[in-house]
Amino acid sequence: MNHNPQSSDGKHDDDSALSDFLASLMDYTPTIPDELVEHYLSKSGFQSPDVRLIKLVAVATQKFVAEVASDALMHCKARQAAVVKDKRDKQQKDKRLILTMDDLSKSLREYGVNVKHQEYFADSPSTGIDPASREE
Amino acid sequence: MKKLFEQSLNMNNGCLEKRKKEGSKSSKSGSKSDDFAVAIAKVAAAQVCESVGFQGFHLSALETLSDITVRYIFSIGKSANFSANLAGRVEANLFDIIHGLEELGSGLGFAGASDVDRCVVNSGIVRDIIHFVGGADFIPFAYDVPRFPVVKELKEIGSFQEKGEDPPGEHIPSWLPAFPVPETYATRSSVENEMMSVSTGKKTESELASVGRKMERSLLNLQLRFANNENEGGSLHGVGYSGRAREDFEGNPYLAAPLHSGEKEVEVSPVVLPAKLSNEASLRNPVPGNVIVGNHVSVLETFASAIDAMKSGLCDSDNGTKKLLSTQRPALRFKIGIGKKSFGTVPDFNSQDFWRQKQA
Repeated sequence: MNHNPQSSDGKHDDDSALSDFLASLMDYTPTIPDELVEHYLSKSGFQSPDVRLIKLVAVATQKFVAEVASDALMHCKARQAAVVKDKRDKQQKDKRLILTMDDLSKSLREYGVNVKHQEYFADSPSTGIDPASREE
Repeated sequence: MKKLFEQSLNMNNGCLEKRKKEGSKSSKSGSKSDDFAVAIAKVAAAQVCESVGFQGFHLSALETLSDITVRYIFSIGKSANFSANLAGRVEANLFDIIHGLEELGSGLGFAGASDVDRCVVNSGIVRDIIHFVGGADFIPFAYDVPRFPVVKELKEIGSFQEKGEDPPGEHIPSWLPAFPVPETYATRSSVENEMMSVSTGKKTESELASVGRKMERSLLNLQLRFANNENEGGSLHGVGYSGRAREDFEGNPYLAAPLHSGEKEVEVSPVVLPAKLSNEASLRNPVPGNVIVGNHVSVLETFASAIDAMKSGLCDSDNGTKKLLSTQRPALRFKIGIGKKSFGTVPDFNSQDFWRQKQA
């Protein structure tokens, strides 16, 4: 193929970039601990003597969780901005950014994970019904 | 935020929820063996959220996020293992992992996903990860995590041949493991018979007390025997058992000697980690919570005081044991029971009312 010599140089660069990255990965301590990752990888049948691969999986997982969390953060801030438009007083109180199931399910839907959280739990089937119809 | 981390480590809420929903949930999520890993995942997810910018979270949201984290790791491992097996390998390598990551990321898409003859090394997923590592500053995990699950070494009993014994009966081949020491089950059965007779007759406190003392005595005799075996260098019976017994006694706080008033009180439960764990974790900061790293105590030291007490108590009458026991602090109340039925608690020897009733 014509582009072979060029792509082979590119491949060498990519190879070296990847190997450098793997080597530098050992310097980082990802927030997700290696022992946890190793436990679940071994549970799934993954076998590898290489420690760098486990660090790679840990970093990839952290990236995923960070992306989901930042999307949820965007939803949370958007909701607060919409509320603040109505009342200026709430600007002071609603500074706390809290991760809720609502924001989380919205951000996870983009990643193909459908999470539905129950609105409320009722202890009997007639909870919440009008008293008139309850007597029936 | 630290308080929230510690709260998530305490599994109270999680355990209660799991017990309620045990019927509906799958066995994987309801298994007790996974609790530790799930708790660590919760703390890790919370830390990542904090680094992104969140200041608080709902517990249900955190549980969902940690569950998804765990499933993500699990699915990477599964797809990497699948790719490796497809290539005829047992151990996965870098390319298998990148394949797995591409599969997971294909829903959202990554740069270069549509290229037909792309190289795995050149994939957009890897570039995204490199970009992420370069940009984000990583906060290390809040706690020191020991290697888990801890594999306990099994102490084998040894076959008849190894012990040099003749198996009782010609039908038993000599390469089978030896029978356990008869004292381990013989004394207990005699106590059991007595307890059965107690249950048929009228249950009085004094009868229960005598049964309780007999059980303590038989237990202590057993421990004395193990201690002697240990001292002698072990008969073949004792070697296998003393090791296991030591592990059991060290691990089981209910068999430890009662603390005297002058001794140091341990605030957390006295569970001693196995040797491997204590060597590793003693160098780092200890995990806060209900785990302590302690030194191994020999059987003799643990039971020295109790053995002395029982030796002097055995010769005396009831009054003698009463006097001896009243000066020591009771360790724990424990229920004596066979199978499902329990006979109630052992009476508190130190309470004034109990002895007033006896004397009356």
